[in-house]
Amino acid sequence: MITDINETLCSEFELPMEKLTESAILADDLGLDSLDAVDMLVLLEDKVGIKLDAEKFQHVKTLGDVYKLVEEII
Amino acid sequence: MSNVCITGVGLVSSLGHTPDALFDNLKNNKCFFQEEPSWKELIGLNTHVSSPAQNYDVSHLPRHTRRSMSPMSKMGYLAAHNALKDAGLTVSREANSTSKLYKTDSLKTLLMMGSTTGSPIFLEEYFTKMIKNGGPVGQLSTAFLKTMNHSVNANVALALSYSGPSISPSSACSTSSQAAIMAMQFIRSGIYDVAIVGGADELHSTSASVFDIAKASSCHYNDRPQEIPGPFSKERDGLVVSEGSGVLILESEDHVKKRGGKVYAQILGGQYMCDGIHMTQPQSCQMAITMEQALRDANISKKDIGYVNAHATGTKVGDYEEAKAINSVFGETNVAVSSLKGHLGHSLAACGAIEIIGIIEMMKNKMLIGNRNVTEVLDGFSGIDILKSNKQLKLNYAISNNFAFGGMNTSLVLKNLM
Repeated sequence: MITDINETLCSEFELPMEKLTESAILADDLGLDSLDAVDMLVLLEDKVGIKLDAEKFQHVKTLGDVYKLVEEII
Repeated sequence: MSNVCITGVGLVSSLGHTPDALFDNLKNNKCFFQEEPSWKELIGLNTHVSSPAQNYDVSHLPRHTRRSMSPMSKMGYLAAHNALKDAGLTVSREANSTSKLYKTDSLKTLLMMGSTTGSPIFLEEYFTKMIKNGGPVGQLSTAFLKTMNHSVNANVALALSYSGPSISPSSACSTSSQAAIMAMQFIRSGIYDVAIVGGADELHSTSASVFDIAKASSCHYNDRPQEIPGPFSKERDGLVVSEGSGVLILESEDHVKKRGGKVYAQILGGQYMCDGIHMTQPQSCQMAITMEQALRDANISKKDIGYVNAHATGTKVGDYEEAKAINSVFGETNVAVSSLKGHLGHSLAACGAIEIIGIIEMMKNKMLIGNRNVTEVLDGFSGIDILKSNKQLKLNYAISNNFAFGGMNTSLVLKNLM
């Protein structure tokens, strides 16, 4: 699942794989802004085929938070 | 009233992305019309030829800038960037920039670029997904940013880091010529010193089908697009849809003199008018009135005009009506007339500005470009010289026409200042 998420981030947001660590802060370390966050939710839902909790997704700070949120749903 | 000068040009087109490349291809009678095999699969579409822009690249822009850009915005950015560079102007937010840099904090500049619609490529993608999913689920946030009507203007502003007055005009095929005339009026009145004006459109089957439905697209030369008869030809069978962007930097004479910039030409006058008669049927009388109004605004005699750059797209009705209009205005002068759409194809919102760049090149090179692929010109207009080949001529004054669905007519007068 982490591989799937990372591949999506890699291809859609042009992020190098080595930067995709659990502790990476979405805004500061990966340069993802509010528009990217909206699109990440859509792309991840498409990837895992399950609707994610948009409310909770608004509060994610790190990539680890994203992994956790997706794992919880799956 | 300030004189309005053209001090920079930029383009992305099917004939190249520099004025030199454009003129070289025009001079050598080139066109790069090609077959569009995928269009054959579309039920009811009769034209299968297009004239795509030559390869271009904006991968150097940051992802945050590129993510909201469709092809029309990418082409628009490149044309605008190159036009500013050509003019020797740099958009900068820094108040302490050197004197050569243009400071956007003065609010005396205008960005005015438009397109026919928002991105047709992403409109198709958006609605295809929406119909498939039964609602907006799965849509990316950037979809709207590519499909909104002022997408080109907004994306160019972002990519240039331009902050300042901005308007996005839209009148289909007369978008960029109308933008140039409006900017001329603004600069004359002293509202702005500099205007970045132009248009952009991207290739898509819907653009072709708009003309196809109106029986205005070329469909008898699908297997040999290089042989499509040119504008004003007796054999003309319709237009070829293209794409691209043309951008002009317009500046008040005082502003360009003060900074020591170069000048190509002056926009002496112009007019844009809606005919209010018919949405699609070209009206020669209204075209003629528009040209006469432009000449009046320029305070120049028709006898001074050495060349008419026609809108003529290669359609049966449009070319005839325009020839009739030109003949009624210039009939006694034997003025030279040609259209560049037999070479470039029809780039819709971009064509006006690209064609003005073509006229500037003709002025610079002292050569008029003849209509491409014309053996016999349409009958009945012996008072004007519809060019079948290039012609050596020192061109001092020219008039540029562009017309559009919706009954839009535009004409502007250029004076050679090189």
